[in-house]
Amino acid sequence: MNRTFKTDCIGYALFAILLLVVIPWAVSFDGFALNTYARYLALGMVAMALALSWGYAGILNLGQAVPFALGAYIMAMHLKLQASAHMPGGLPDFMGWTNVEALPWFWQPFHSLPVTLIAGIAVPVALAALLAVFMFRGRITGVFVAIITLAFLVAVQLVFIEEQRYTGGQNGLTGLAPLQLLGWRVDNYSTQFYYLVAVCLMTSLAIGLALVRSKVGLVLKAIREDASRVRFFGYDVARYETLAFCTSAAIAGWAGMLYVLVLEFASPTYMGVAFSLAIVIWCAVGGRESLVAAALGGIIVNLLEGRLSDMFVDGWTFFLGALFIVVVLVAPRGLFGLVQSAVRHAGKTIRSERGGARARWLATGMGARRIDNGGR
Amino acid sequence: MGHLELKNLSVQFGGLKAVNNLDLSVAQGELRCLLGPNGAGKSTTLDLICGKTAATSGQILFEGRDITGLSEHRRARLGIGRKFQTPSVFKELTVLENMEIARSQNPGILASGFVFRTHIRGRLKEVLELVELKDHVHTKAGNLSHGQTQWLEIAMLLIQDAKLILMDEPTAGMTIQETRRTGEIFNSLKGHHTMIVVEHDMTFVRQIAETVTVMELGALLAQGSIEEIENDPKVRAAYLGNEVANHA
Repeated sequence: MNRTFKTDCIGYALFAILLLVVIPWAVSFDGFALNTYARYLALGMVAMALALSWGYAGILNLGQAVPFALGAYIMAMHLKLQASAHMPGGLPDFMGWTNVEALPWFWQPFHSLPVTLIAGIAVPVALAALLAVFMFRGRITGVFVAIITLAFLVAVQLVFIEEQRYTGGQNGLTGLAPLQLLGWRVDNYSTQFYYLVAVCLMTSLAIGLALVRSKVGLVLKAIREDASRVRFFGYDVARYETLAFCTSAAIAGWAGMLYVLVLEFASPTYMGVAFSLAIVIWCAVGGRESLVAAALGGIIVNLLEGRLSDMFVDGWTFFLGALFIVVVLVAPRGLFGLVQSAVRHAGKTIRSERGGARARWLATGMGARRIDNGGR
Repeated sequence: MGHLELKNLSVQFGGLKAVNNLDLSVAQGELRCLLGPNGAGKSTTLDLICGKTAATSGQILFEGRDITGLSEHRRARLGIGRKFQTPSVFKELTVLENMEIARSQNPGILASGFVFRTHIRGRLKEVLELVELKDHVHTKAGNLSHGQTQWLEIAMLLIQDAKLILMDEPTAGMTIQETRRTGEIFNSLKGHHTMIVVEHDMTFVRQIAETVTVMELGALLAQGSIEEIENDPKVRAAYLGNEVANHA
């Protein structure tokens, strides 16, 4: 446990330096560029959340976009209400177009920012808990979890698109007001905003690491390997799986809220199949066995997407597909696996170098002479 | 009243009655050997006791409490531990991590959330020394030899400290020396733990057995001391016939 703890601290520190120093410095604190990076960080955060359930507990959640999009919509609802304050009845514009008379009850609480911030995490968690109880009490595992979560994703997206009167349908929620946070008018093209997102990512990462490095993480790894054996030691497997699933949902919801602040709109594509599967790819590319690596995977792939889609427009998706195939074939443990085996290899080389040097030293007779001298 | 009582226990898989109206009583601190030819229902009996298989009818009483309807982890929390026929340790985890999983006196999520380190001291150190794995604590369990894997699982049972330990062929694949040492460990556990051991190795059974229960076709065939069993004509006919002839 101790050795991995050290690796974690190093990884976490390097990651912190990258986010808080290297990136802002590399773009010379340019607000526009930092906004783009803030977007990558929010996406890295979802990838990290998926690694928590997929990498550690073996729960392949193909519907990771659901909690993300819920967080996003909740934040967008708050900002939309702020933007609609001057409208008749405080009603958002799209509700007026679809003949909604009064603000629906489930929009009411989001006038309040504290409620919004809590709900942005609590609602995804509640929904995840419901699904988790159903799945894990029923001892559903492996590919069936993937199928159920995928179906759930499609169903939720369908509801959001169909209920246009309340959700903005295909258009999503646009024309949002900027967030007023403790008297600070959040400007999403500012350095401060970038740091807000970076600190959120680092905080959620710390929470995730604390969870997986405690005995909970150990039990989750054991469950991934042999769930029934874990039960015979008295652990309530379903409860541990539910915890991993819900923590993952909480972080995803949090990331979703940040994502809306970055892009200034919420769209049903956030809960699309393509987006949800992309999260899985980011996580796999980075390496699902490490939370830091998964977050990096999310950031790197999106950074590449940003660069390549400038050159190839839609052709980019072919690169994404190819990248995933290459990762699965060549490095199934992702970049993390590559780095880990490289470090191990380097360690061995250094050790054998030292051994070789010692052997040469002995062979020249130096060692023997020294010992003789010592004897006299 | 026994520590563990099976009353009229049956389980049916399709048309097959794997265990058929079995009555069994094991006293506190007793080591009971369960013998019988292949397919006699020995492993299934252990499965029923630990909750891996649900009984079709009958009752299981542990410390006077009816546990027939409890889930596996609830039974484990009451103090029932199980060793499986094939060594089932967590291969991806290190020896020490395996031991931490087995150290499950507080299996709740909240309790686990505050454990970050496994200290090698006290009982854990003793057990690791006993099974000679103290120098391998950071080895992945998947890289251990077969014998070491068996020892690790026994160590996990010891650290789990279950009141009732169910063991399915604990010495399978062990050398003669290892088997003898396992026997010594089991003998030292007598009195503190109630044990039910399914075993085929008769030398080992003679080393550890107090009372032996023989099963055939899912039902109780005979019960008694090892001598009584070996001289029982029914048992000789059903199962021990060849064995006794070989040893004579």
